Amino acid sequence: MILLRLISWPYLRKHLLRTLLTTAGIVLGVGVLVGMRTANQTVMGAFQSTVDKIAGATQLQISAGDTGFEESVLERVQSVPGVRVASAVIEAVAATELPGQGNLLILGVDMTGDRSLRDYSFESGDEAVIDDPLVFLAQPDSIIVTSEFAARNHLATNSKIPMGTMEGRKQFTVRGIMKAGGMASAFGGNFAVMDVYAAQKVFGRNRRFDRIDVAVKEGHTVDDVRRAIETELGPGFTVEAPSSRGTQFESMVAAHRISINISSVFALLIGMFIIYNSFAIAVTQRRYEIGILRALGASRGQIRTLFLMESFIEGIIGSAVGLLLGLVLARGMMGYIGGLIESLYGVDQAGNNVLSADPYYIGGLLGGAFALGVLTSMFAAWIPANEAASLNPVIALQKGKAQAISEQETRARGWAAVAVGVVAAACLLFGAYRPIFYFGFLLTIVGALLLTPTLALGITRLLRPLLRRLRPVEGALAADSLIQAPRRTAATVAALMLSLTMVVGFGGVAGASYHSITAWMTTALNPDLVVTTSANLASRTYRFPSSVGEEIRHMEGVRIVQDVSAPRIIFRGKPILLVAVEVGSILQTAPSKPVAGDPATMYREASAGRGLIAADNLAQLRNLHLGEMVDLPSPTGVLHLPIVGIVEDYSDQQGTLLIDRALYTRAWADDSCSLFRVYLNQGVSPLVVRQRILDRFGGHSKLFVFTNQDLRDYILKITDQWFGMSYAQIFIAIFVAILGIVNTLTVSITDRRRELGVLQAVGALRNQIRQTIWMEAVAVGLVGLLMGLGLGAIYLYYMLEILRRDVAGLRLAYEFPVHIALLLFPVILGAALLSALGPAESAVRGSLVEALEYE
Amino acid sequence: MSNDKKILATETRRTPRTQNLRSRVSRCFPISVFSVSRWLILFSAVAVPSFAQDARSIIQEVQKRNRSESERYEGTLQVIDNKKVTDKRWIYKRKGSFGDSKSVLTFTAPAEVKGVALLIVNHPDRASDQWMWTPSLERERRIAFQDRSTRFFGTDFSFEDLEERDVDQSDFKVLGEEKLEGVDCWVIDSRPKEAKQSQYTNSKLWVRKDHYLFVQVESYVKDTLARRISYTDFAQVQGVWTGRTLTVLDARRGSRTIMKLEKLSYNESMKDDDFTIQALRREGS
Repeated sequence: MILLRLISWPYLRKHLLRTLLTTAGIVLGVGVLVGMRTANQTVMGAFQSTVDKIAGATQLQISAGDTGFEESVLERVQSVPGVRVASAVIEAVAATELPGQGNLLILGVDMTGDRSLRDYSFESGDEAVIDDPLVFLAQPDSIIVTSEFAARNHLATNSKIPMGTMEGRKQFTVRGIMKAGGMASAFGGNFAVMDVYAAQKVFGRNRRFDRIDVAVKEGHTVDDVRRAIETELGPGFTVEAPSSRGTQFESMVAAHRISINISSVFALLIGMFIIYNSFAIAVTQRRYEIGILRALGASRGQIRTLFLMESFIEGIIGSAVGLLLGLVLARGMMGYIGGLIESLYGVDQAGNNVLSADPYYIGGLLGGAFALGVLTSMFAAWIPANEAASLNPVIALQKGKAQAISEQETRARGWAAVAVGVVAAACLLFGAYRPIFYFGFLLTIVGALLLTPTLALGITRLLRPLLRRLRPVEGALAADSLIQAPRRTAATVAALMLSLTMVVGFGGVAGASYHSITAWMTTALNPDLVVTTSANLASRTYRFPSSVGEEIRHMEGVRIVQDVSAPRIIFRGKPILLVAVEVGSILQTAPSKPVAGDPATMYREASAGRGLIAADNLAQLRNLHLGEMVDLPSPTGVLHLPIVGIVEDYSDQQGTLLIDRALYTRAWADDSCSLFRVYLNQGVSPLVVRQRILDRFGGHSKLFVFTNQDLRDYILKITDQWFGMSYAQIFIAIFVAILGIVNTLTVSITDRRRELGVLQAVGALRNQIRQTIWMEAVAVGLVGLLMGLGLGAIYLYYMLEILRRDVAGLRLAYEFPVHIALLLFPVILGAALLSALGPAESAVRGSLVEALEYE
Repeated sequence: MSNDKKILATETRRTPRTQNLRSRVSRCFPISVFSVSRWLILFSAVAVPSFAQDARSIIQEVQKRNRSESERYEGTLQVIDNKKVTDKRWIYKRKGSFGDSKSVLTFTAPAEVKGVALLIVNHPDRASDQWMWTPSLERERRIAFQDRSTRFFGTDFSFEDLEERDVDQSDFKVLGEEKLEGVDCWVIDSRPKEAKQSQYTNSKLWVRKDHYLFVQVESYVKDTLARRISYTDFAQVQGVWTGRTLTVLDARRGSRTIMKLEKLSYNESMKDDDFTIQALRREGS
């Protein structure tokens, strides 16, 4: 502690800016980690919490995907021994037309039997608040809202709420107000209850239920009852605990989670290099102190502890500030993630506060991130601390020696990098095994980091002639400064390289995705109009009766109408999209590009109901092969069908199975439609037919008509949103890169203050000094950029592979993002130049005498 | 086959497991309350001479004296809860004998519930089936009484209070004799047997000695009074003594429900076709 107070504190205080910049590395790493994960977890937690709150005492939930099932299933469930209560549920997200109130999560329940499952905690005590329970059941416009929602909108019993329904805009009457807390707090209070049979009508469910909630009798175990229900209903139904819904939902946003995890790790890695850089320089600068301390009897352990303690304190401060930054970032990201999930899955989770998720998780996350920040800081300082501890007092007094890297060290690093590279390449050969593949990925990054000093040195030597040509004196000085102090430069280059690697990776994936999706839209998404029940194509709240399609079919100018049902179902334990459409008609209008199987055969077989066509991403994710027999659970039994074809399809990240509509209607006993694909006669204006459809249905039905261009714009908007986070990550990566350059230059100038002073003393002009520093900065930026582009090219390969194998099954073409690379040159070099302005001015404005006295 | 017959036919095709479940869970229909003269009519007639079984023979006599082939009345229901008063009117019709009756309860006021009807089909061997017809939705719904301790549509009756209770599911014991409202009564303790699930630990029944009529029923959870049903305004209508006013007190909530019977008549001629879902639909549309 004495050393800390006498040696470290004055040093840190003297180099306050550098200390702050170093700490900023940890702040940023921890901040990004906490921000991203907190935002993600808050949204996920909000979803789970909503599920838990509205589940009440429900122990099991029975569902059959988005399609729901016939009412008769309820009685079959009620007849199962061990079932105490079985209550039918319709769950829907509906847009209120109250200004600024967004969506309401509506739970349709049968109040005659649901009260023992859920505590409705009505405002004025028990049931009395449903002003009249019989009126509630008798009037289909009855709705019960939460006190929070009522207060926000100045609603009281018998107030009216306008909402969009399958029968057009309707006024609902508030016939009850739930007390705050418990179920009423689900969905941020935007939660309402209505009669299940009224909900069937309002949301176009016909005589079907979405779900049955079950409570188990005393004396029976939940598992036994679950098995009994499964036996009674067969495999077309999913019987699971309410918490499993969260798990399913989570699997739907797995891609997003993986992206966040990779970004978080990179953010910390970058922070680690910034700290390493700073400490390595600090050790260099304080070698005289270290030498004196060692000469005075300080042990190696004491020296090591001194530096580790400094990193520990910086870690604590950086992590603490990082946590705060993370929470601020999380607030911003949450709306984005919530919006993204809503647009993708039709579930709006916006409006929840940071930390509204599981407090234990958030507590654990904050604690973990804090510890990780401190440990990263200490880990980053470990090598410099060890070097300081093992410093020979004699070498310590020889200026400049410590910034050099010995031939022996360079050779050792080189061999290690080669070995790591060989193993990484070998891992690719056995990459079919996931752990080996990811291990290879890790080794590639490690190998690149090991090679960083050597490569940086090599590239700087190559750049030297160029710099000399630009400015003979300044260029040479700048290049020599970097060549003589590779250790100082290497960490900055490493941080910059990692940042830019991320940029190239994300940019490459985004570009490849855009390219593939656009190509797919051109071939497969070609109807003139698409008629849906929601402005959000992913929302499955409302469904059309098939009669709507029939009417559109008979409209003037309409050539073909394809009825499409697109429910999400559970296939081999995970949700996928089942697209039921008349397959024969698809062959005529928009056959997808085949990946495996003969197009004529696959469409003929599928059209006859003798097979399924799988999207390539599903085949990749679930390892499905052409000809493979698959069991597809339906409410009427298991369909045992072969995969007759695999096609390119980007409809859903979890994968899609295409089934003929006739077979679907039979097996799912459901002829409702999610959307209609409408093809027009040649020369007929889509806008005219669109208006005809709206005139016919718009007034009394929830109906939206997209033109082909609208549809494309919508999908590209979704894609944009999906990659929006990547752009944020790119921005952060660039910011980190700039931070690293500023840090390096500040340190470099401080380190060379005397040298720069001498230059000025022997006649160098201020402009020459400035330009030297500018060129040095640009050179660091250029080296980092070139190495970042190199590693980024490899990283992009791994990202595409991860995307294909583990995230979305998408087989995207490798396409180096040349436009991003080109854009990075002016951005990074400009940023480097900008970041050099301050240090350069500081170098030329300081007192020459002080500079000459330095050290 | 008409729709209602289809539904009824479906009901008779229920699996034994379904029947058992429904028998176990819900012998619990409003006919017992709405058909006041038949309150607790299902207590079966197994009379044997012991002190406990004397209590049974009293209950058996109650059933015997209140039997009728059909019943019709117009009723009013008033729920007084925390100074708020809710009123409803309905017409009640029942046809058939004990254990095999059908009844229809059609609300006539207020306007929001007008046309809402309940069809109750009793079966001698199992619990009744019920459908509620909602004119605004133009559809019927089967009512599953899974939670018998909750209140019946905002009244102070619980679903269990509306059950036609099987005498074999309870033990009876004469506790003594007592004057209530100036009338001599037997006080009988009714305690559900172990196998029968009930929200109540036991009930006390006050039976008028002169006409074998229930005057009061108190139901307890452990030792705490949960509900009290009082019968007043007794009159002999077409030879059947009937309490024409029922007052139900929910002791825990402090709310009361008063049910009054008007234009009461027994043994009128009624058609079977009036007790079908089709008839509900016809009348409701």
